[in-house]
Amino acid sequence: MADLKPVTLRVAPILGEPVLAAAPARQSVPFRGGGFAPRRLRFVPLVTFLLVLALWWVVTHYGWVSDLSLPKPGEVFAALVAMVKDGSLAVNFMASIRRLALGWALGASFGVVIGLTIGLFSLARSSALPLVSALFPIPKIALLPLFVLWLGIGEVSKVATIAFGVFSPMVIATFGGVDNVDRGLIRMAQSFGVPRWTILTRIILPGALPALLSGARISTSIAIILLTAAEMIGAQHGLGAMVLAAGNLMQTDQLLAGVVVLSGLGFTLSQIIGWAERRFLHWR
Amino acid sequence: MRFNFIAGLALAMLPAFVTPASAADKVNVGVLRFVSSGGLFLAQERGYFKDAGLDVNFKYFQAAQPIAVAIASGDLDFGATAITAGTYNLAGKGVLKIIASQGAERKGYDGTTVLASNTAFQRGVTGFDKLAGTSVAVTQVGSSQHYMFGQIAEAEHLDLAKNNIKPLQGIASMVAAIKTSQVDVTLLPPQFAQPLVKSGDAHYLGLFSQIADYQYGALFGSVKMVANNKDLVKRFVTAYQHGCSDYAKAFLQKDASGKPVVNDDTKAAAALIAKYVFTSLPPDVATDKIIHSAVFVDASGKINLADIERQIQWYKSLKLVNPDVDAKAFVDQEFTK
Amino acid sequence: MDLMAQSITHAYGGMVILQDVSLHVESGQIMAVLGPSGCGKSTLLRILGGLEKPDSGGVFTTGVAEAATLNPLTYVFQDFALVPWLSVYGNIELALRHHGLSRADRDARIEGVLTRVNLREFAKALPKQLSGGMRQRAAIARALAVSPAILLMDEPLSALDAQTRALLMEDLKALWQQSGFSAVYVTHNLSEAVQLGHKIAVLSRRPGRLRELVSIDMPLAARRDDSPELLAIRDHIWHLIRDEAAMADREMVQNG
Repeated sequence: MADLKPVTLRVAPILGEPVLAAAPARQSVPFRGGGFAPRRLRFVPLVTFLLVLALWWVVTHYGWVSDLSLPKPGEVFAALVAMVKDGSLAVNFMASIRRLALGWALGASFGVVIGLTIGLFSLARSSALPLVSALFPIPKIALLPLFVLWLGIGEVSKVATIAFGVFSPMVIATFGGVDNVDRGLIRMAQSFGVPRWTILTRIILPGALPALLSGARISTSIAIILLTAAEMIGAQHGLGAMVLAAGNLMQTDQLLAGVVVLSGLGFTLSQIIGWAERRFLHWR
Repeated sequence: MRFNFIAGLALAMLPAFVTPASAADKVNVGVLRFVSSGGLFLAQERGYFKDAGLDVNFKYFQAAQPIAVAIASGDLDFGATAITAGTYNLAGKGVLKIIASQGAERKGYDGTTVLASNTAFQRGVTGFDKLAGTSVAVTQVGSSQHYMFGQIAEAEHLDLAKNNIKPLQGIASMVAAIKTSQVDVTLLPPQFAQPLVKSGDAHYLGLFSQIADYQYGALFGSVKMVANNKDLVKRFVTAYQHGCSDYAKAFLQKDASGKPVVNDDTKAAAALIAKYVFTSLPPDVATDKIIHSAVFVDASGKINLADIERQIQWYKSLKLVNPDVDAKAFVDQEFTK
Repeated sequence: MDLMAQSITHAYGGMVILQDVSLHVESGQIMAVLGPSGCGKSTLLRILGGLEKPDSGGVFTTGVAEAATLNPLTYVFQDFALVPWLSVYGNIELALRHHGLSRADRDARIEGVLTRVNLREFAKALPKQLSGGMRQRAAIARALAVSPAILLMDEPLSALDAQTRALLMEDLKALWQQSGFSAVYVTHNLSEAVQLGHKIAVLSRRPGRLRELVSIDMPLAARRDDSPELLAIRDHIWHLIRDEAAMADREMVQNG
């Protein structure tokens, strides 16, 4: 302690900053922060998409990948245009959209109701939750023959397949969302004597909405995946039936055109949910 | 001394070099476990392939399409299975050849059976002429049942567009659908149709072969093999033809009253084929089943090009086969001459 | 309206939190409840307002509340408990809507309380847009909107920074001057207790028992941090609780 020299401060004439007299060589402190904070970059999605397209074009155009394995982007586009022109795309699209909308709405509303009861009542949690957990991993495609036996080969079995696939993830999303609603808010509402129904509609449901929307994001994708499975059985029209038939007929250009439409549909639905998140979850 | 030693060594090694060259050519052949591939199974069991210097290794598949794809991709050298619209599209891309015939519908022989559901039958769907506007269960769009129904519709002057074609992906669901009257009509192989008619679960409307002959099965070869190894292909096809002729002798002979002849030859051939088709059944039961479900296969193994062209024409009219597909480009009759 | 707790005893999973606590909150007075962390202050408050059932003992009120009182026992929470997807207006309205008031009545009440806490122009703001102090003022406005007979305040200032705390303390005093509400004010902060409490109930560490009930006769308006009487009372209470606070602190560390 005793041999520590007192530090003399001197005012630097130009910058006016205090500078340590006889300071040793300066070393800048290396930057160690940053990262872990992904942002949305505006044109990157488009550029990525174009790059993938370009890669596809190059490998098929120069014959690096055979025509049999992967048709050229131009052929797929031509198949798409042909489907638009002869009206078959519209017919198939409408048939599928109906099944998707019905199946998703049914599965999601049942899922939300069951998820809410599981989230709110001990008896439901103990009885229904293990059941739902057991139902979730069942490959719905494997149950298709049973669906056909129970519900026939008409629209009902197709809608049911989609609804069944949507149901479990929505149940799990909903009760998870209900579990995550701040108990303090519920106690607060109770302390003001707010009726149970109002607590449900104004506290629990809006509080579970983030989880519901992310559940919707997953379940719409599952619905589209199951659409093809649902349309395996006795579907004359539909995007899934079209893709299946194109595969069976080895019309790979039409197959990929159908896949493009399906993934475009998935992308659009995900955009809609993203919009809903920004619109309804602005309070976050 | 030293020289002799090396010479001796060389002599000792000689057989090691020679043996592979003289050993049988290995070929991979894709098949379904169906009676229609009986010619192949007989050729294998009776050593016709071996005699031709071929070591045939069967690869078993669950559906026709993957066999065609595996030949196209070079995983198989040959394959025997049904021809679908998908196969024609694949062949049209120049990736596989049709080199011989397999199963066929032929008048006078058992084959694909047209069934009506009980409710449809009560409603008046009692014959081929009454099929207008019915719903029809098929495996897939562009499958052989689809084609056969189209041929019936043409023969009976029906508007196919008014029929509701329901692709159900598999025979099992077609059986279930006809049993429960969820479709009006379906077309099934005889071994599935007969029990349904017997048990009263469906009504017999007729055999497709009443309408026309139909070459629904073929022997395929990979393009590489057909182009580069004609000798091997020739040996393979000749052995196969020998098997087909055995098959025809065993199963397709008729007595004076038109009934199929069942003799010792039939039983012997059936026992051999049964080993491939019904692997889990006791041999005598399996043999009996083979005798009763034998389908028509041309004894010569020759492909009916005119029929193939007619099929492609029909598929093209429904846009199920691409317009640039030409049978002459991929049907190679050279090996069955 | 008076609020009385009689011999409250409560345990969580075999661990006794409160033992034989009796309190009497008189109308128009603020009862500060002071104790070290983990002494069961918040549990006591939840029991007082009927959010939790005590294992034994009971809570009673005497007298009737005013006609305007919609929710006699009303909480103010430490973390404000503002519903994040409702505006300040919506948060207050949530507490009012089931009382069958006319719309005009409701809006008048909301405007009145927002004026009292100086948040009139923030009626449409969402909680995330407000500072900590404003959030707690919004929560207090919500509590006042139902014209409570007794406010149950659970460390309402402890989530705020020191400056905001001081400001809000002034606000609370001013509010009491205006309306003379009764309150139970739970805190672990000695200074807050002597600033606001007409009586201070000092709890021991777990299991929480009533150690002493200190009355301060000095009017709230006259209380200043440096007034000698208050310093004397602070000193007195500090001696009561310091050993326990130290022990409670060690206990927390051991348990953690």
